[in-house]
Amino acid sequence: MSSRPSTIAERLIDDLSARAPQHSRDADLAIEAHGLVKHFGDIHAVNGIDLRVRPGQVFGFLGQNGSGKTTTVRMLTTLLRPTDGTARVAGFDVLNQDRQVRRAVGVALQEAGLDILQTGRELLRLQSRLYNVPRGEIEDRIAHLLEVVDLTDDADRRIGGYSGGMQRRLDLASALVHSPPIIFLDEPTTGLDPVSRQNLWEYIQRLNREDGVTFFLTTQYLEEADQLCDEIAILDAGEIVQQGTPDGLKATVSADVIYVQVEGDEQAQQRAVSALLPLPNVEDAQWDYNEGVAIYSKSGHDTLPRVVRTLDDESLPFSNLRLARATLDDVFFKATGHRIEPGDAAAQTTQAGPA
Amino acid sequence: MSAVEAPGQPQTSAARESGPIRILIDARYLAGRAIRESLRQPGVEVTNIFIPLFFLAVSTGAIANFSERGFGVENYLAFQLPVAVLQAVAGSSSASGIAIVLDMERGYFDKLLLTPASRWSLIIGRVWADAVRAIFFATIMVIAALGAGSGMASGVPGAILILVIAGLFGGAYSGIGIFIAMRTGNAQAAQAGFLLFFPLLFMAPAFAPLDVFDSWLKWIATVNPVTYIMEGMRGLVMDGYMWPIFEDGQVVGVKNPPALHWAFVSLAGFSIFTLTIASLALRARTRAD
Repeated sequence: MSSRPSTIAERLIDDLSARAPQHSRDADLAIEAHGLVKHFGDIHAVNGIDLRVRPGQVFGFLGQNGSGKTTTVRMLTTLLRPTDGTARVAGFDVLNQDRQVRRAVGVALQEAGLDILQTGRELLRLQSRLYNVPRGEIEDRIAHLLEVVDLTDDADRRIGGYSGGMQRRLDLASALVHSPPIIFLDEPTTGLDPVSRQNLWEYIQRLNREDGVTFFLTTQYLEEADQLCDEIAILDAGEIVQQGTPDGLKATVSADVIYVQVEGDEQAQQRAVSALLPLPNVEDAQWDYNEGVAIYSKSGHDTLPRVVRTLDDESLPFSNLRLARATLDDVFFKATGHRIEPGDAAAQTTQAGPA
Repeated sequence: MSAVEAPGQPQTSAARESGPIRILIDARYLAGRAIRESLRQPGVEVTNIFIPLFFLAVSTGAIANFSERGFGVENYLAFQLPVAVLQAVAGSSSASGIAIVLDMERGYFDKLLLTPASRWSLIIGRVWADAVRAIFFATIMVIAALGAGSGMASGVPGAILILVIAGLFGGAYSGIGIFIAMRTGNAQAAQAGFLLFFPLLFMAPAFAPLDVFDSWLKWIATVNPVTYIMEGMRGLVMDGYMWPIFEDGQVVGVKNPPALHWAFVSLAGFSIFTLTIASLALRARTRAD
């Protein structure tokens, strides 16, 4: 959302304050899944996912490429049929009431799916008609959405001439034409510049807070999940390996993490881990190729000198010793055994296949 | 668990939420978009005009001088007009498959699938647009041939009937492109939808009457639906349509050329076949991913 970021966000909120649905916090679940499975031949993309998303929540799916995020979104939005399991969205069964599900959700997939030969206005008009928005409201609604995503001046230009950011904004507007109570955003900020990303975060937060819209978003950005989500599920190899609030998840790893680069081969790293694990206050220790050895401690300041002594005693040379507060990255690492690599998001191009 | 309560329902019109009327309404919107797509790519459509006109001119120029002696066809331009019409229509309708593949590649097909619109409306919208485009291209062929002196034995009503047949054939033929697009998701394969027309064309009496065919080719031509569609149009151009015969204000008889009847029967069969395979392919694609 490039040129007038704050005003765009404010206008989006103003628009949706008047129109978006208000969920009751104790109402039925917005999204519910039991044992959701998706296999593509021998590839097990999703392996038995259970979900309970309350109305008004911002629920985040955090995972690497190929962890099953996009496949799950595609099943929940009726684009893919589950191999096994059940799911209900807005109270409707995704298999047997698929049209009702589609009517109740807005979806912006990872790649902005647009018709480059249409103008922005024509695309929104067609979307509105297909969503059966009352005829008399369509043009006002389109004008308003174009204004809030700052595309009024470009509304009658063909989409093929839009920049990537403009296409993303138009895609988002197209997901909102029918004011859905539940919005799915698949990697919403992948490929956006930092200003646009911040702007979108602000929009999601305020839309959720002020209008109670439920968001289900997938992301590879830890910061994004931390900032936006009320609840996060960490997905690895098609399974939820950890779930909770961002603070709750961080509490599952110790308060502090000590990182140290131990010199030597993998065997040396494993020796270091084995030697450090029995130290007082140490809850876990793991080795990772990029970060080195991570020692999770209830009290980093007490553990730090012991780490130094232990490595000396073991004659293991080391460097880059540092103490940090636990982050979602540490939660992710502890849950999956690997870290989200920078660039994963940019590299992801998954559409219909396992993701 | 019940559905999200009323305040959480999306703001859509309560009326006409589903059913065949809704399918047709959505199909109309989608057809409008497909026609707009054509209007914005005039360069693509030029080939659908140029190639059939080129073949019409060349084949007439090459064969017209001996067609009467060779196989008893006096007005070879008129004989060739249905071929030009069918060729233009098949070329135009094949483009639907490519357009669908492009939608898939750009993610727009998913966006359409995410709307509450029926899957049927996605197919009917394309078929509808192709029928309209077919009438447009057929009109150009008829006008060009008339301008070159083909004549139209059945007059204006016959010309209108030719356009109707062309529209129906265009809608039916788009089923082939849709089928290929759904099955393969590949633009090159979808493009081959037009190439499939050539066997159908050459194994029909496109350049000479059925009487002069070898027996094996004649047998194939008799089971080829294009034969009957072509002959139906040809009868309208060359023989005329026998309208109801009135005597003293009363209808005393109606003489309908059998070829025209068979044209509509063939069109019905061809349409049922192509639209069925297209629908099954769409169903398979949206259910078996």
